[in-house]
Amino acid sequence: MKHRILASMLIAFSTAVFISSQAVATPADADAATALAKRNGCFKCHAVDKAKKGPSYQKISAKYKGKPDGESQVIKNFTTGPKVKMDDGTEEEHKIIDTKNPKEIKNLANWILAQ
Amino acid sequence: MRWKYFLVWSALSAGSAWAADPVAVDWSKIPTVNVPLFFPAQSSYEWLRSDAHKGGAKEVKRGDACTSCHDQSDEERDLGTKLVEGGALEPTPVKGKNSFVDLKVQAAYDTKNAYFRFQWKTQNAFPGSEHQYLRFDGKEWKIYGYPKLDQVVREGKQPGIYEDRMSMMIDDGKVAGFAQQGCWLTCHDGARDMANVFTKEQVAANPLLQAIKKNDVRKYLPATRIDPSDWKTGKPVEEIAKIKAAGGFVDLIQWRAHRSHAVGMADDGYVLEFRNSDAGKDMFGSNADKETHSPKFMWDAKKVGYKSITAEQLRKGNHFLIREKNAVPFDPNAGWKEGDMVPDYILSREDAKGSAADNNAIANWKDGMWTVVIIRPLGLANNDDKALKEGGVYNVGFAVHDDNITTRGHHVSFVRTLGIGTKADIRAVKLP
Repeated sequence: MKHRILASMLIAFSTAVFISSQAVATPADADAATALAKRNGCFKCHAVDKAKKGPSYQKISAKYKGKPDGESQVIKNFTTGPKVKMDDGTEEEHKIIDTKNPKEIKNLANWILAQ
Repeated sequence: MRWKYFLVWSALSAGSAWAADPVAVDWSKIPTVNVPLFFPAQSSYEWLRSDAHKGGAKEVKRGDACTSCHDQSDEERDLGTKLVEGGALEPTPVKGKNSFVDLKVQAAYDTKNAYFRFQWKTQNAFPGSEHQYLRFDGKEWKIYGYPKLDQVVREGKQPGIYEDRMSMMIDDGKVAGFAQQGCWLTCHDGARDMANVFTKEQVAANPLLQAIKKNDVRKYLPATRIDPSDWKTGKPVEEIAKIKAAGGFVDLIQWRAHRSHAVGMADDGYVLEFRNSDAGKDMFGSNADKETHSPKFMWDAKKVGYKSITAEQLRKGNHFLIREKNAVPFDPNAGWKEGDMVPDYILSREDAKGSAADNNAIANWKDGMWTVVIIRPLGLANNDDKALKEGGVYNVGFAVHDDNITTRGHHVSFVRTLGIGTKADIRAVKLP
């Protein structure tokens, strides 16, 4: 009986965590996100699963996913042009993408975080 | 019909020197590699290193590979689509030009030769096997037909007539940077149809071009210039000879749908301080007399039924003028009428000699597609050739000229590796 209660609690907890994590990141429209990234030349410096001039999207995701300000940090990187460190140690201003549409911007960030 | 027989005969008779008959090779058993080609416009060595190459200049200067950034699966298609439309890199876009060519490449070899099979769809519903003509205007003979980037064609004063081509550049690892940046090492501002194109006065005042007796600017390798980004700063010929002796050049094989195809060959050249022909004699030469500009040869009416054609006969049959097959010396008193045309180039397999005559080829255009097999002997020992050897790995670049165009009007590939019986992007398979 004790074990059954414990198991039920565990399942309930896991479900809550799952639902909560789903609620944090809106599922991304991958086609729209990659089209926007492609149009802006993002893939010249980033790839999903390997480092190029910039880190892979998987690495970016690992850094920011699940953090309260993760989405806003990712958005800040491609909308404000901060100085970023390149693979050779030099610094460059990050490219600012060519849209001001909040939905498109959020979708791209969520797609990156989903990698 | 007669011409069809001739072409088959020509290919087969040349085949006696081949260990394997490329017609008989079961190409379905040879792996096919898709090599996307794109329209590069004026993206020269210099442009790639300029701030206009946003986010890429520093990387190119330090020697990074083009594909370190441009590595998406549809990269070539996107680049070509963007560039062909016109803009800073394409000042005179050709209306309706295709931006992309899907080239299929297969490679095989035996004890004597390497065999490279290429297939691509042409933009036009006819093979681009016509080349420029000499046309009689009632008084004198003048060139008729020009490549589509030329002003006379853009202004509608001349038709676009120029042969299709399939080109292959080969480096054996001795040209610094070719493994990373391929053909872009050879393509420079100042050359024909590129930005800041040369002037006659500049060429006439240039010590290197005068020393090598050239009257324009073509492909060159950076090592041949004191400032690689300035074609005018050529090194002394003695120094360039040392670079050549050390193997610091790239081989350039060009199959030409008119000037080499008709005699079952592909030309053989190399790029060093210029886009040179190999030593010996090419399979084609000018048919215009230097002094009078009238033709040197005309068709033998006894063999082909006509001494010349007119514009109405263009694209209707093969109009090759071959010295040993269907040509006779030009007769100025043969009753020429305005509009009569003979080819601007005389072709000859028999006259092709030396290192320039190393490469054979057979080709066929059917249902909108060229199939070209270039046959390259292994182990060439000429000082202007890259010797292909079993076990060797080479850096290669490919280009197709399609739809009556030359110079930058081609479609090009990023660099690939070719292995003769060994692992590479394109692995040549040993034939049984």
